[in-house]
Parts: sequence; structure tokens; C-alpha cells
Amino acid sequence: MSASPSEEQEQLRRLVHDFLQDRSPVADARRLAESGADGDRAVWTQMAEQLRLQALVVPEEHGGDGYGPAELGIVLEQMGGVLLVSPYFATVAMAAQTLIASGDETAMRRWLPGIADGATTATLALAEDSGAWDAGLVRTQARSSGDAWLLTGSKSFVVHGHTADLVLVVARTPDGVGVFAVEADAPGLTRAPMDVLDPTRPLATVQLDETPATRVGTGDASGWLASVTDLVLAASAAEQVGGAAACLAMAVDYAKVREQFGRPIGSFQAIKHKCSTMLLQVECGRSAAYAAGAAVATPGPEASTAAAVAKAYCSQAFTHVAKECLQIHGGVGFTWEHDAHLYLRRAKSSELLFGSPASHRARLAELVGI
Amino acid sequence: MPVQQGLGETAVETDEEFRARLRAFFADHHPGRPPRDPAERLVWTKAWLATLFDHGYAGPAWPRAHGGMELPFARQVIYHEEFAAARVPGPLGTGLNIAAPTIITYGSDEQQRRWLAPMLRGDVVWAQGYSEPGAGSDLPSLRTTAKRSGDEYVVNGQKVWTSHGQSADILFALVRTGTQESRQKGISYLVIDAHAPGVDIRPLQDLTGGHLFAEVFLDDVRVPVADRIGEENGGWKLARTSLGHERAAGSMNQAALYRRVLTELEELARERGLLADALVRDRLADFEIRVRIMRYNAQRIIADILLRGEPGAASSVSRLLIAEFEQDLHEFAVDMLGPQGLLGKGSPLAVQRSRWLQGFLRTRASTIGTGTREIQLNTVAEQVLGLPYDPSMPPR
Ligand SMILES: Cc1cc2nc3c(=O)[nH]c(=O)nc-3n(C[C@H](O)[C@H](O)[C@H](O)COP(=O)(O)OP(=O)(O)OC[C@H]3O[C@@H](n4cnc5c(N)ncnc54)[C@H](O)[C@@H]3O)c2cc1C
Repeated sequence: MSASPSEEQEQLRRLVHDFLQDRSPVADARRLAESGADGDRAVWTQMAEQLRLQALVVPEEHGGDGYGPAELGIVLEQMGGVLLVSPYFATVAMAAQTLIASGDETAMRRWLPGIADGATTATLALAEDSGAWDAGLVRTQARSSGDAWLLTGSKSFVVHGHTADLVLVVARTPDGVGVFAVEADAPGLTRAPMDVLDPTRPLATVQLDETPATRVGTGDASGWLASVTDLVLAASAAEQVGGAAACLAMAVDYAKVREQFGRPIGSFQAIKHKCSTMLLQVECGRSAAYAAGAAVATPGPEASTAAAVAKAYCSQAFTHVAKECLQIHGGVGFTWEHDAHLYLRRAKSSELLFGSPASHRARLAELVGI
Repeated sequence: MPVQQGLGETAVETDEEFRARLRAFFADHHPGRPPRDPAERLVWTKAWLATLFDHGYAGPAWPRAHGGMELPFARQVIYHEEFAAARVPGPLGTGLNIAAPTIITYGSDEQQRRWLAPMLRGDVVWAQGYSEPGAGSDLPSLRTTAKRSGDEYVVNGQKVWTSHGQSADILFALVRTGTQESRQKGISYLVIDAHAPGVDIRPLQDLTGGHLFAEVFLDDVRVPVADRIGEENGGWKLARTSLGHERAAGSMNQAALYRRVLTELEELARERGLLADALVRDRLADFEIRVRIMRYNAQRIIADILLRGEPGAASSVSRLLIAEFEQDLHEFAVDMLGPQGLLGKGSPLAVQRSRWLQGFLRTRASTIGTGTREIQLNTVAEQVLGLPYDPSMPPR
């Protein structure tokens, strides 16, 4: 894609924007988060049937529409804007992209059509107790037994892991790291939601005890898993830009109407400068996220670099903007009823998932040979 | 599509052919390294600008009628990319960036003929006389007066911080033709001969120890009324003329420049064995992120213009990003070098002729010149985000 959305991509953006504002505004995120639900089934179904969002990046031969990470970024930016509570990120950005990157035709034929039409939710379980997003640190074991594989170990921080119909588990095999598909009803599988900061993005622990699984791809997966990581990072960056932009809009709207000392607070420079600085970060983040969306379509060093740049920058930008948004709302911003803390929770959570900004800077330094 | 002729362009030249042609030109005519002596450097730069102009490679966005190339936007971008890659000197004075668009938009035919081509060729150096000792951010309060006397104005007052003032042949200035109270409604745009009687230009030493700018005293300077651009008292609107798209086309140039500077800094850190320090690596990676975002911003602004005709919000913030970046980068370089970073170029122990320290000092201006950071943040807040005006500020 070009550095700026095409007309077709703009249409996609408007479509998703209007749908989400209507069917899943941030008030719904609060309601769902408070009830502990992992999303609104009706919204999920409409996203699949009317908008075909779950089909977005799935190749046409597997029941999808064959778009790429750039379009996914456009959708996620909108979802981030309303803090959508939904297994969409886990299912599409994580699991579907993993299956596609594996190049495993059998696995794709088996699971992608269900993902594309909304029947299947899925996720990718890589991190373990430390939370590190690093396949090299995986300790979960995969043992082959006849035709099947048996997994033993535990995964943590699995996005929407407690409800996913399909969990793609990264485990260690005698021939390197592998990815394994585990279905929800597999014996020896236990899952539980974790108690985490961001209730709009549930994370789970997944225990595996001699759990039967199907291998996805052959041989050592660490190579293509690295490209999956790039795709997930780019997706996460796009989603964070959406959240940051929503915080900025909220802050600006409030600054225009809240009056103190007989004038709108937005006429004071201290507030103006905060807002302009927030805009700087949102726009720079958007440039970085678009560039990453374009770059990760082709695996390779440029994809990794652009993804690391985008994730590191957008993470910091979102957290900063969310904090400033809260500050600009004053006392009301500190209340439970106000949405500012929901964004702050999502921001901090997204910042540290899939690697902190500092860890991505360290990786970037490696990549560019610093 | 109409076929473009002249200036050595073939009718069906592709982007790649155009690029190759520029490269060949830069390779053949590259002026080499600039002399260190300021006076020699001025002559040297002028010679280069004349070469550019005479071969039809000056003014990518300018009308052909004035010696420019009148390139479509996408080609301007290529031009700037190649310019940056070739490491050849840019324009002299502030005329090309600031006065020329004003003259192109508002100048009479006669004024355009008289002023534009010599400016582009570097024969005549233009400097900007807007700021005054009492009128910086609050430019509408300026006090330099121009009183009508027949077909001349008599100009009195003082300008300050005039970049390239010492080498200027012409000053484009804002002067008061109305009352002081009329503020921006009483300002006119005058083109003043810097060599005219009554013009006294004194170099000002700046904090780098150099002479980036000057102060200008105007004592009964007579300026033909014919050298006013636009209406009497209508100068304010002209001063707001922006470069918009041209600047966007050139934004790649800046990104390329800083890409290079950062690579040189990384190289320096490596040579000095500092890359093992995790803090150094973290900071360098952070600059790496910002310099890449600079390029991504430029790409996005350019793509927006090509697709939608408008530069979009990224353009309003990219200058802020660059200013902060260059200040942080140079300061970090000095910190990284420790006490050696504090040495001036006179010291044999100075690292790379003290360029990082000079940069640290020089880039203090990035958040002051052409509008301070604070003023820019205000402008972005009001014009892009639509926040209310500050009622304690005068109406615009
Ligand atoms: C290297 C350099 C080159 C320059 N070249 C030229 C040139 O060629 N021609 C020319 O005409 N001028 C030139 N200038 C002048 C430049 O445009 C002014 O310095 C600038 O507009 C600021 O004005 P000032 O210096 O009077 O500062 P002031 O306006 O006095 O500002 C002082 C401080 O107060 C802050 N401030 C002022 N007003 C407000 C406000 N309303 N809200 C918040 N903060 C405010 C400023 O941000 C700044 O921090 C140059 C300056 C530099 C540093």
C-alpha cells in the first residue's frame, strides 16, 4: 500500500467506523468489561456476516477476501478507537495470520474457512509465565506419539485464551520450536482468565497436560514465527493509534466545553500545548503504523524493522496520550464512570504485551546493526 | 497528457530516466567540499547556484517562465531525494523559501520578471526583515515605519535576527504604513535594496560564536512605491503565504539529511566502543525510530497530496518532530562524548571538529526561528484541533 490509504481503504475505514460507533461504542466496552463477557455475540456475527471482517486477511481459496496487513491495520485502528471487546484481534491478527504464515495447506483448509465466516474464534499462545514474547524462551514440550502430538506445559497472557475455539500453541519439539493446534475440547486442556489491568482485553492461562494437538507447519518454526510476530506488532500498533486518536478527540472535545476562570480550558496554553503534543504523537504513530502495515506484507528485515519502530513508538504514544487525556479531564477523569481510565488500561496493557518499547528498541538496534 | 518540452527533457521520460538524468548532472557538476572561509564560501555557493540555474536544474516547483522546472509534484519529490543524496549545497538566503512564493502569488508581472530569476540563480541574495527588537512572536506590533513621499516610501526603524543579513542584497520586509493601533491591518510588504543609502547592516554574533544573522538599521531609506508587493496596508496576508506543497516535496530531503547524520553518530559510537552500553543503544534506537518516522511522515504527506491534493495532519506536526529530534540528537552526542564533547574545534582533542557541540548550540534555534515552538503549538491547537482562541491574545 502507499503511505496513505487508497480510496478503497478509506471506504473500509468509514464502513468499520460507522458500524462500530453504532453497534459497539465505548460504552459497550465498559458494559462488557464489567460483566466479564469476552464480547458481544451479535456484534461478532454482524462483523462476520455483514462486513466480512473476519474474512479480511484470509486467502480467497480458504473462504476469505485476501486483503493484507494494511487493511487489517485500518480495521484495527477503528476497533482500538472504541476499545472493542472482542476476540477479533486474537482470532484474525494473531491466529489467522499465524495459520497463513505457516504455509501449511492442510491446516489452512481445516481452520481458515471457519475463522473467515465467524464460526471459529482462535488465538496464539506463545508467552509463558514471564510474559516474554520470545519463542526462544518457550518451555512447553511437544512429544510425538504415533500420528499425533501431545503437549505438556503452561501458557500465560493468552489473548482471549479462555474462550477461543482454537488455541495455536508454541511448543518445543526435538527439531526446534513448533506451532500446534489445540481445539477447545481437547483432553488435558484447562484455561482460566487472568486477573489483569485491562478488562477490555482478557488474558488467560492455558494448561496443557498430555494434550493432543495437530502440528502446524513442519520443521523448526522460529523463522516464520518471527514474521508472525512482525504481523502482530504491526496490528497492535495500528490498534494503539486508534486508541490514542480517540483519547485525543475526547480531550479536545472536553477542552472546548469545560469552562474555568470564565473561559474554556482549551483556550489556555497549558492545555493547548498538551493537545498539540498529543496530535504530534498520534500523527507520527499513524505514519509509523501505516508504514509497518505496508512493510510486513513482505516478510524480511524491513518488515521487522518497521514493525519494531511502529510498536515501540505507538505504545509510548498511546500511553502518553491516554495519561494526558485523563489529566485534561481533571477530577472527572479520575472517576470510575469516566472512560479515560479504560483507555489508560488498554494503553498500558498494549504497551507491555508482545514486548515493551525498550525491548523493541533493543531489537531494532540489533536489526539495524547498532 | 501534454508533452513537456525543453530543459533537456525528452517527451516520454520516465521517473527513473529523470532520476538518472539528475544523478548524471550532479555527478558531472558536483562542486565538492565548500571552502571554510565565509566569504569564499559565499562566492562558491553562488557559482553552484548559477550552474544549477544555467543547466535548467533550479527551482523544481517554480514556473518555467522564471527559470524554474515546473515539475509535477511527484517529480519534485524525486528531485529533492536526489538533491539530498548528492550532498550538494541548497539555496542561499531565505528568499527562495519565503519571498519567492509571495512574489509568485502576489507580485506584478514586472516584479516577477525583475526579481525571480536573479534570486533563483543566486545572483542576488534575499534576506527576511520581519522581526524587530520589540516584535518577535508578536509580529503585528512591529514599529518600522514607511511614510509615503511622492512615489517613494521613507523607511525608518530596526530589524533584527536577520538571517544572512551580512550577505544580503535585498531585504523583504514588513513595515508599518498604517497606525500602530491598526496592528496587522497597517502593515505593508516592501522590497528594500540592502545597498541603498541609510541601510546599515551589522552582523550579530550568535551563541555559536558565528554570525548567522544580523541587525539592520533603517534610517530614512528611500524605497520606490513600485517595490511594494500587494496593496498598501495589505502586507500581512502576504506574509502568511505558505510554501505548503513545495515544503512537503522537500520534506524527504530533511529526512535523508538526518538519516545520514544519525548513521554518522552511530558510527562514532561504534568507533569509540560505546555500543556495548545498553543506555547508549537504547537512545540510538530511539533516534533511529524518530528518523524513520520522519521519513514515514514525509511519505505520508506526499502520498496524501498525490491522492487527495491535501497534505493532511502529519504535515502540521512534522516540523515539531524534527526540531525536537535535532536538539535531542546533538545533545545526546555531546553527552556520549563526555568531557571531550565539550571541546571546541580549536582543540586538537576535539572530536570530528566539534560538529556535535556546534550542533547542540546551533539547534537551540530550531524551536525559536520561524516561530517558536510555543507559538507553533498554539497554532496547531487552534488551526488543526479547533481549540478556542486565547481571549487575552489580540484577534487575528
Ligand atoms: C537563528 C534564527 C534566525 C532567524 N532569522 C530570522 C530572519 O531571517 N528574519 C526574521 O525576520 N526573523 C528571524 N528570526 C527571528 C525569529 O522569527 C524570532 O526570534 C521568533 O519569532 C521569536 O521572537 P522573539 O525572539 O522576539 O521571542 P519572543 O516572541 O519574545 O518570545 C520569547 C519567549 O516567549 C514565548 N512566547 C512569546 N509569546 C508567546 C505566547 N503568545 N504564548 C506562549 N509563549 C509565548 C516564546 O515562545 C519564547 O519562548 C530568527 C531567529 C533565529 C533564532
